[in-house]
Amino acid sequence: MYRSLILLLFIGAANAHQMSPTYPKWSDSYIDDISVSRVRVFNKRKDVEYYEIGVFDKDMKPIPFVTQYDLRGIKYHNYAEFTIYINNRYKKDALYVCSKSMLPKLKSTGVVSKICSKFKD
Amino acid sequence: MIKDFSYTLALTIIVGIISYGASKSAFALDVPISASVTGSCIISTETNGTYGQPNAYTLTTAASDGGQMPITRVDVTLASAYKVKFTVPSSFSSSPNLNDVVTFTGDTEVSAVSDATNMADYETDKVEVSDYVDEYDLTATGSTWFKHTSVAVNGGSRAYPSGNYTSYVVAECIAL
Repeated sequence: MYRSLILLLFIGAANAHQMSPTYPKWSDSYIDDISVSRVRVFNKRKDVEYYEIGVFDKDMKPIPFVTQYDLRGIKYHNYAEFTIYINNRYKKDALYVCSKSMLPKLKSTGVVSKICSKFKD
Repeated sequence: MIKDFSYTLALTIIVGIISYGASKSAFALDVPISASVTGSCIISTETNGTYGQPNAYTLTTAASDGGQMPITRVDVTLASAYKVKFTVPSSFSSSPNLNDVVTFTGDTEVSAVSDATNMADYETDKVEVSDYVDEYDLTATGSTWFKHTSVAVNGGSRAYPSGNYTSYVVAECIAL
């Protein structure tokens, strides 16, 4: 029974997607008129290898931004820090930064996970 | 007199040394531990779903028909900081060439909570945004389990062509 319980707990914790912080902030970058922010994505989903990052306005419409890779491979049980650069003219409209799991070819019904943090001054 | 003065001076020096040593020891024990709690949302896929086929033209995640409901768990570490939005399938993400229009139905429900007192109203307070989209405000910290159903009926009661059918639920955790 205990073995079963441990197995269930392990399965329960094995497939998770986490992003922090809840409220990232912009700061000045070393380039004029460009602000920078960072979020961290943790991959505990065995079935997912890639995550996509995006910046959105209040209506979840995409906002132009720059990062090294907007689609990035994150190994199981590893995290990645996304550094996001944005032109200051878009900064006031940028409300959310979201990470989304990219599912491989599925056998049946799967779950796409998407987590959005909110920019606050 | 001089002897008393020497004795007092020696005693003062000894007490001073002991006090200094004690204060140095106190500094040595003063190890700071700091933390920065930023809060986060965690979406876990507890169970990936499977479609069962009770008849030639229906695919369903109902266990009674041989399917399996997908179950997701959402953990939040800040109260009233996130809402969670679920979109159940309205189309297949992959399938063979279909011979008719498929009608999708589905729903999301709270299946379990970690805090029975503060999460008791999650299901009654949910917002049904559309036939496929449900939203919940996560007003308490802890874990909430959600179960999702999906039923796909092929038009005209026509049998599904053989092949693999896949679809997905989208679980979104959005900071408020």
